[in-house]
Amino acid sequence: MPGQLSRQEVVEQTGLLPAFPRVIRGILDSLDDDNASTGGLVHLLQQDPVITGRVIALASSAAVSLRPGAAVHSLAGATSMIGLAKVREIVLNVGVAEFARDSQMSSCFWEHSAAVGVAAQELARHSHVSLDYALISGLLHDIGQLWMARFYPAEFHAVHCLVADGSTDIIKAEQEQFGTDHCWVGSVIAESWGLPAGVVAAIRFHHHPGAGQGEKLVSVVHVAEVLANALDLTPRRDNQVTDLSAVACEALGLDWEADMNYLFAKIEARSSHACAVFRQ
Amino acid sequence: MVTRLRCLPFSSIDQGMVLGAPLTVPEQGVVSFVLPAGHELTESNLRQMAVRQAEYACVCEEDSRSDEVREMEWAASEKRLQEIFRLADLSQPALAGLYGAVLRLRKS
Repeated sequence: MPGQLSRQEVVEQTGLLPAFPRVIRGILDSLDDDNASTGGLVHLLQQDPVITGRVIALASSAAVSLRPGAAVHSLAGATSMIGLAKVREIVLNVGVAEFARDSQMSSCFWEHSAAVGVAAQELARHSHVSLDYALISGLLHDIGQLWMARFYPAEFHAVHCLVADGSTDIIKAEQEQFGTDHCWVGSVIAESWGLPAGVVAAIRFHHHPGAGQGEKLVSVVHVAEVLANALDLTPRRDNQVTDLSAVACEALGLDWEADMNYLFAKIEARSSHACAVFRQ
Repeated sequence: MVTRLRCLPFSSIDQGMVLGAPLTVPEQGVVSFVLPAGHELTESNLRQMAVRQAEYACVCEEDSRSDEVREMEWAASEKRLQEIFRLADLSQPALAGLYGAVLRLRKS
């Protein structure tokens, strides 16, 4: 029983997790840089040959299907074919998928994260929020749960038993077992990885967006997770909607009486596509 | 003929399917590949979509279900939705609105 977790313990143990891809932080850091270019992305990726290899393989297999012999051999080639924004998005997804593979957490956990990432991107598209920030915040919103499962498996299991029998919600159950919740743990991890403040806030407050001090990314991730559960985007028996912040919906300009069919159907289709990355 | 609009992941798209909404796939950060609603997808279209990393498309499909089967599917969807929302307080407008919006999707 961990009692009250301390920031120091979370940070120290985070050092025992698989290394978080530095390229992800590099990409997020470069988003505000007007001079960010293909050359900059290539330079960043040179530090991570595994991710580079997967990005080139993805672009190449598509090119060969169009014209045999048209294989892509370099990141610059992949970028000229599908564009910088798309390559950046693929790198973020593949980077987290590589981390997921090493983390030994269930594919179900990561598929839920991928679904929230897609939903967050679609909500961000209509809210003037960076799509890359939305994607990475969605992908990592439950990273605190990964930490809990890795270092306190018995307590983590107890939390899920309590939630599964419907006697309490996850935040209360975690408070009981850990003295804090996965949102706080996740935000400490994200901070220790040097992720941007907006992403840290989104992870910290995604269950309580009202405390997010008006950061729109917080509202995006909160509503994205509710949508992922409401739309049953991943085959988890325990998909549940218990709460939805009216303030967050208002911040994003969402009107549930409007026709949401196209938005929802698009999220479902894209989520199904994105989850495949975590099954490879 | 009764039809319905469905968004499908790229892996489920086949040639011969008819687009139910315009398909736009950006290239180099700009929209470069556009096909109109009503267009019947060809093998060449699918290859072009693959190269541009298309993730999904909205297609118009014939709804060949009988009224009885359709009603049964709707009932099953509604039951699952009730299960997902079983702990939600539907007197709250935001939650009730979301519940209604998802239900409308399932019945479309």
